[in-house]
Amino acid sequence: MLSRVAESLYWMARYLERAENTARFINSTTQVLLDLPRGASFGWDTLLKVAGLDALYNKHYVTPNEADIMRFLILDERNPGSIFASIHSARENTRTFREVLPMEIWERINGLYLYTRQYAAHATHGRIQRYEVLNNIIERRQSVIGLLVGSMSHDLAYHFLQLGRSLERADMSTRIIDVNSAVNLPIDGTSDMARERLWMSTLNALSAYQMYRQHVGVHVQGPLVAKYLLTDPHFPRTVTHCLGEIENSLSVLSDYHAPLHAARVAWRRLEAMRFDDVSPAALHEHLDQIQADLANLHDAISRKYFSLHQQVAAQEQHQSSSSTS
Amino acid sequence: MNTLTQDYPSDLFFDELIAPDNEPRAAARTLFEHLDTLDAADLDERRQAVNAAIMTMGITFTVYSEAGNIDRAWPFDIIPRVMARTEWTRIEEGLKQRLTALNLFINDLYNEQRIVKDGVFPLEVLDGSKNFRVQCQGMTPRFGVWAHVCGTDLVRDGDGTVYVLEDNLRVPSGVSYMLENRQLMKRLFPELFQASHILPVDDYPARLHDTLAALSPREGTRPVVVVLTPGIFNSAYFEHSYLAQKMGAVLVEGSDLVVQKDDCVYMKTISGLRRVDVIYRRIDDDFLDPEAFREDSTLGVPGLMRAWRAGNVGIANAPGAGVADDKVVYAFIPKVIKYYLDQDPIIPNVPSYLCMYEKEKDYVLANLDKLVVKPANESGGYGMLIGPRATQEERDQFAELIQANPRNYMAQPTLALSTAPTLIDDHLEPRHLDLRPFILQSDKLYCTTGGLTRVAMKAGSLVVNSSQGGGAKDTWIIDVD
Repeated sequence: MLSRVAESLYWMARYLERAENTARFINSTTQVLLDLPRGASFGWDTLLKVAGLDALYNKHYVTPNEADIMRFLILDERNPGSIFASIHSARENTRTFREVLPMEIWERINGLYLYTRQYAAHATHGRIQRYEVLNNIIERRQSVIGLLVGSMSHDLAYHFLQLGRSLERADMSTRIIDVNSAVNLPIDGTSDMARERLWMSTLNALSAYQMYRQHVGVHVQGPLVAKYLLTDPHFPRTVTHCLGEIENSLSVLSDYHAPLHAARVAWRRLEAMRFDDVSPAALHEHLDQIQADLANLHDAISRKYFSLHQQVAAQEQHQSSSSTS
Repeated sequence: MNTLTQDYPSDLFFDELIAPDNEPRAAARTLFEHLDTLDAADLDERRQAVNAAIMTMGITFTVYSEAGNIDRAWPFDIIPRVMARTEWTRIEEGLKQRLTALNLFINDLYNEQRIVKDGVFPLEVLDGSKNFRVQCQGMTPRFGVWAHVCGTDLVRDGDGTVYVLEDNLRVPSGVSYMLENRQLMKRLFPELFQASHILPVDDYPARLHDTLAALSPREGTRPVVVVLTPGIFNSAYFEHSYLAQKMGAVLVEGSDLVVQKDDCVYMKTISGLRRVDVIYRRIDDDFLDPEAFREDSTLGVPGLMRAWRAGNVGIANAPGAGVADDKVVYAFIPKVIKYYLDQDPIIPNVPSYLCMYEKEKDYVLANLDKLVVKPANESGGYGMLIGPRATQEERDQFAELIQANPRNYMAQPTLALSTAPTLIDDHLEPRHLDLRPFILQSDKLYCTTGGLTRVAMKAGSLVVNSSQGGGAKDTWIIDVD
């Protein structure tokens, strides 16, 4: 497997996962907005921080408000993490390694791109259209995964897709959990009920509500939900589960010690976390730390498998910058 | 009489499908019997289905633009171009004959130059050839073959004669579209493929793979074959990726390869370097190796020529193979065939006048209003004069250019290119077309069944390039009972 192709595969999977999770992130936010109790307020600036996009947003927009943020998250190509930009990048990446994927996967990704290109603007027209279009994007993306699982050999290419997908998914799950920190609830007798409804929206955004009820319980309590969504080993969108997938894929590759070590660091931090009576502020801290661990894991993967190719890219960049100067 | 063809203007040019009496030619009879059962709405429906398939299959070609919209859907006409097998068989023989002679010719030019010494091919033409590479002198690649993949453009004139218009011996493209056109037609008209004997085309990727694998320097191991592309911004990127996929080869860019001190070529993988045996290169000579050719090339691989000359890697087409596809060299190919094979060419050249010869120059100058004049070393139609469509002033200008540098010009009569019916809105109109078959040679010879038919979609236009409004048709070679 070419080092360059491995990196493109990895990023293609990340872009697709990011597009789907951004759609989930937005749906979750919308649900939260609908469920806000009287007297509560929503911090749009906090939401952008949770997404890690506050600096970029402030460069292009004046105030954080729903319409602009939705445009920024769904449509705006100046935001490389917007749904349209992610799907566009995934498709362009796929064009560079169509030869390693089953033909139908390219057709499906191309179809997802064409759909998004046509309907992404529609999704910014209002909450109803938004929900419909984003759900379609999630479904179409799921059908890509279905094809991958059903028609692709579990070869090296598959494992690089798996690495990218799992890492991005783990990161985005922590951010979706963190959406709740953008809500300021009034301090009165209703706040517990309100908080419970908010956590329900989070579960729904990750398609986890039913599984949570089956495996944890009927009552939606913040600490239990956070614990479930971060550390349940069996639900496919939890950080612990994603780390397991990453370990599986690493074990197939050669010379996996450094990345495996980075994955274990994240895993141990999750193990050590205590969720009883965790305050929203402390939870936010935890989530930040996990995101930092995942970033280190990405660096380790990149150094180990993509560096042969990246050295050349860096040299060329150096050459071209020195020739222009 | 067929309703689709009764108002068709079949007497303007030689039409590939419809005879001057407005009856379909024998090979096209089944096709029209079927088309006749469809009304305008049916045809439109099929056309929309095919366009939707082209979009989702992502069959694209690249257009350079600032907007970043780098790929466009492939323009495709649903009426196929049809040819009887009897006629095709003779053309196929002619193409194989031609490539065999071309390869003997190229190998001779880089070695003994017997053809020059025997006075058949003038030294001054060789000296003027931009595509002759001194870096290749003295080399004899495996089987003595330099051009492993050749795309030859064929045209038909008003009297029905098929001519070779040009040979593309460097990096000919278009074969993936030939294969995809067939896939589209099978999706679209499955019933027709049952009703008539349309010869299949889809063994090309396997044949290409075998042609390349035969060049491997390491016998006994499964050869590592790569397709070397300039990258995603190249106009033929779709094809590079497509062929790599169909052959199970690795698609690489120059930066993925490295030549080590042992003069072998390696690719950079996630677990280190891996030896490469054969490179199907889709980048021009100039960019292949900055050590040997253009220093500023970042597309190529430093040291590649060293590895090739040492016999450690097969390269197709071999560097320097383009020496035989210059427009003045073209005029000598009938003599080249006679010289090496002692045979007459089966497919004729378009008659050509070389201005380097006094008598031919005088003829050209006296007949500028009837001729097409081409410079030797330009491609893509640059610097051409189309006499009958030019103004007197332009012709006078060209006369001066020819006088100043006669060796750089050749001229041909303007051909009345044949047409085929093409679906325009809801009816058929004649459009001009050509045909590009692909011929392979290493240890064996192979020719595609038919080839890529390119069609000028604008009325009266002779330009078939996809970047300039050209489209394509599926090409059916049919066994007529």
